[in-house]
Amino acid sequence: MAGLPETIRALDEDILAFIGRGMDWCDDAAFNSLALRVFEQQFEHIPLYRAWCARREAAPGGISSWAQIPALFTDAFKAADMCMFPGHAVRTFMTSGTGGTGERGKVSYDEGGLRLMDATIKTAAQAMLFPGGARAVLLVIAPSPEAAPAMVMSYGMNRLKEYFGLPGSAFFIDRDGFQLQALTQALRRCEADRVPAAVCGGTAGLLNFFEHCAAQGLRFSLPGGSRCLDAGGLKKKAGKISREEFISRCGFFLGIDPCLCVNLLGMTETASQFYDDAIQAAHAGRAPKGIKIPPPWTRTLAVDPDSLEPLPAGRTGLLRHIDIASRGHVCAVQTDDLGRTVDGGFEIFGRARDDRSRGCSLSIDEMTAPAGARDENH
Amino acid sequence: MKTIEVNGYYLPPGFSFPEMAFGTSVFERGGVRAVLRMPAVDAPLVSALACHVQQAQARYLGSLPVGRIIDVLDEAARRWLDREYPARRTAIDALHAVTGFSRETVAASIDLEMESSLKEDMWRALRSEIANPLYLDDFQPSPELNGWCRAYGPALVAAVFSENIPALPHLAYMRAALVKAACIGKTASGEPVFAPLYLKTLEELDPDMAACMAALSWPGGSAAVEGAAFGSADAVIVFGGPDACASLLERIPRSKKVLVHGHRIGFGAIGRAAQGRGAISSLAAAIANDHAMFDQQACLAPQAYYVEKGGEVSERELVEAIAHAMKETEARMPRGGIPAGEAAALHQFRARAEMRELLEDGCILRCSPGGTQWSVLCEPAQALAPSPGNRTVRLWMVDDIFDIPALLRPAGAFLQNAAVAVGDAREVDFIRKLGKLGVSRITAPGMMPLPSMMWHHDGIAALSSLLRWCDIEKKDPVGGLE
Repeated sequence: MAGLPETIRALDEDILAFIGRGMDWCDDAAFNSLALRVFEQQFEHIPLYRAWCARREAAPGGISSWAQIPALFTDAFKAADMCMFPGHAVRTFMTSGTGGTGERGKVSYDEGGLRLMDATIKTAAQAMLFPGGARAVLLVIAPSPEAAPAMVMSYGMNRLKEYFGLPGSAFFIDRDGFQLQALTQALRRCEADRVPAAVCGGTAGLLNFFEHCAAQGLRFSLPGGSRCLDAGGLKKKAGKISREEFISRCGFFLGIDPCLCVNLLGMTETASQFYDDAIQAAHAGRAPKGIKIPPPWTRTLAVDPDSLEPLPAGRTGLLRHIDIASRGHVCAVQTDDLGRTVDGGFEIFGRARDDRSRGCSLSIDEMTAPAGARDENH
Repeated sequence: MKTIEVNGYYLPPGFSFPEMAFGTSVFERGGVRAVLRMPAVDAPLVSALACHVQQAQARYLGSLPVGRIIDVLDEAARRWLDREYPARRTAIDALHAVTGFSRETVAASIDLEMESSLKEDMWRALRSEIANPLYLDDFQPSPELNGWCRAYGPALVAAVFSENIPALPHLAYMRAALVKAACIGKTASGEPVFAPLYLKTLEELDPDMAACMAALSWPGGSAAVEGAAFGSADAVIVFGGPDACASLLERIPRSKKVLVHGHRIGFGAIGRAAQGRGAISSLAAAIANDHAMFDQQACLAPQAYYVEKGGEVSERELVEAIAHAMKETEARMPRGGIPAGEAAALHQFRARAEMRELLEDGCILRCSPGGTQWSVLCEPAQALAPSPGNRTVRLWMVDDIFDIPALLRPAGAFLQNAAVAVGDAREVDFIRKLGKLGVSRITAPGMMPLPSMMWHHDGIAALSSLLRWCDIEKKDPVGGLE
């Protein structure tokens, strides 16, 4: 970490200690003070963000609450990398380029920032995916870090594999594509050896795998303690099936207990991830709330889609995340996900943004549709 | 809260059908609760209705002199232009509640549609397309033919309306009536209000003419209902997006005449000579008007204005002038409420633009404070593509006005409406290029939402395309004709 200013290194240590306290506690005052320190550094070191805040007359010293930290819309990351120390960037992740323009957002991490992300991955998964010291063979239906070095999901899954994976853990999408055969063999091995598997990946990727299974008549009966982690779940393909249906397919094709299926909301623009409480609740022997649980080092708000003013709990709006682990870029991120805050967490309903849904002027989707779809005969 | 009850359908006088079931839809907005009564629509109902309007057409409208038809339609437009006309007031409240457009926008769009639907416009539209409108009444001498011609309209036109341009459906009824056809319209689920109210006006003026018209709403893609509607009709007019049009076209029998008005894309082009300092505030007001009308949802709306560099005023001055005009427009005719997704798209658009502005990437951005009501962005030109709409002005700078045609080419099949002010002798050559690319209407800035009845709508001769002709080429005298 040589090269990062001393203030930043001290801040990182304090954030690490905060994350290290785990998932099951809350300290509003300590969070607020760290969030304001993070904002102060970001304001100081990211000229673009400083200029942007200046237009909103927001500056450190002028605000007293994390809720007042100006939040950047995710598309701002498509115009510029908000990296605090571009000279020290060690990893750059890119968004998938969905959402209209096809441009991809860029988020770079310095070494200290990457350590914070690693800590969030470990701490959150310990409580939400592998509580009680559980371990499993991680079978990842996502590109390996070598195949997709800029994909944050690959990075995160690889960390999970390192921290929690038993021998035999592997990625099954490489540069040559989806390795169905290898995955089938790995699943059979877990079945035979009675070693729990954790089948992880993008929601859409898992659904594709289930389609393969259906087409080839494949079913697995994974041993008890096996679990499923799906990330995303908001893309078009997955949007067509309900959560219940997804979980029932995990049971049908893999033999995974419905209580051990957990969904993760992760975004390139935030270092932290948001799990639902399914596995945590099962471990504690209580009913799940079915909501996303923000880790103690984050806060989530819903804001009015037009005015961007924060909404009271229960009202649906656009979700905004404040994440102190995102120290290396911008900690307040405004998404276009529709959701609402509820007691103990938040719910997410999907992407609010649609290409123009009304009116008779053309939408981007229509204009870029294959030629056959836009036949205009008279 | 004021409650208004309106029919989301129109069934002609004298029509009855056993055991019709009705439901209601309720819309609330801005202190108005609109309760819409809608019948359940099935194929037998539509077949019976088609039969009824066809008989009424054969009995009455088919032989009504075109002059009389125009008089009725003219009077209908005049009533709708009267601020005190009860149906107009109902429409303004109900459309506000149902579509989310502000009352001012609804009122402005009614004015705009009806002002271009007066007597003289209809005569001129007919003369423009068929030279002599009386061809619709009987055989008339045709000097070109050196004989006699007569035009016959279809007996029944089926029309499918798109959503959310208030007051637009009347156009299809007018066109059908002008060619003496009965008309059954399928209203859009998002706007089932205007067509029934308009037909009620025709009923006040001429019940026998109204007996040839109907408006119903049914779920798109309902094969039996659409089979009954399209099967009975001689011609079909379709307004809608590519998906809706493509799926409808599959279900319309090949023997039918079909006129398609699909989704379109418009733009403006301003030459450097048109950017004189003295003209800048009126140019800004004109550009603001083009973007504000129908909240930029019409196919007529501009998605970008190309601006040639080197004008007398700077880019920044132009942006400020337009921002000022957008602000004034918002005060006079507020934009309607928009869904969360569209608001999010506008914020994302602004976020990216603002970052580029801060990076000094050649962008200038001005936005309504506190909400998404309007945005003005000046940036280097791109290929024409849809904007986030809802009053988003994009000024796209080009070095030369003739750089624009290449940027329009990707939108080729979708091009429609263009506001052009080149300001010097290059204008005609520029317009020639636009016409060749597929643009079907050239107008001045500020006039984009105001096409005349005479315009070849989407490049189509909307009236004459519905006609069939009988020509007498006999050289010797025809008994009884003079």
